[in-house]
Amino acid sequence: MRVYEIMFIVNPNAPEDEIDKINSQTENVVTAGGGKIQKIEKLGRRKLAYPVKKFSEGFYVLFRVDANGDIVREVERRLRVMDPVIKYITVKMDDEIRRIEKARKHRQKRASRIGARQAARAEQAAGQATEATT
Amino acid sequence: MRESRDASKEKRGGAARQYFRRRKVCKFCVEKIDSIDYKDAKMLAQFVPERAKVAPRRISGVCAPHQRRLVEAIEKARNIALLPFTAD
Repeated sequence: MRVYEIMFIVNPNAPEDEIDKINSQTENVVTAGGGKIQKIEKLGRRKLAYPVKKFSEGFYVLFRVDANGDIVREVERRLRVMDPVIKYITVKMDDEIRRIEKARKHRQKRASRIGARQAARAEQAAGQATEATT
Repeated sequence: MRESRDASKEKRGGAARQYFRRRKVCKFCVEKIDSIDYKDAKMLAQFVPERAKVAPRRISGVCAPHQRRLVEAIEKARNIALLPFTAD
């Protein structure tokens, strides 16, 4: 299982319930194949950076799912045949997640190291201070 | 470490250079952004000037590892019409 983000653009003239229908259909495909939905996000209407199928606007929807290749293939096939969907993209997120995790760990380690060093220095300073008074 | 080396280099060339140029720093390093998200079109747009080409590192000051990530993100964003391929 991998983490994927599936983003697609729906015809901006499609009614809201049609978008919901597409979403629930896609959700069913994922869960039926043994995948898990992490989140579904309607990003809303946006201007497209370039015309797609003569549309200059589109309704963006983002899925974040735990899935495998078979599920992704099926979802993409369905999106392709759905008329209101004008464009879609699937992005594998595993590497990105791993990278974020690594960076966070690295930063934490560094922070604790610096913290330890400062504590040691403070202790030393305190020790010298007491020495001076005696 | 890297900063001190750069500083010494600047000092050497300092006599010839007449005006002060602010040293460019990588936005992603400075702001500690771990992941460059392809969905964040507004942020990516900073690195694609009018001609819709990716700004070179010498202009934007982005470090090499981050530039690689940045280009990946921009290409994904282009694929889903968040960013243009060409200026029209």
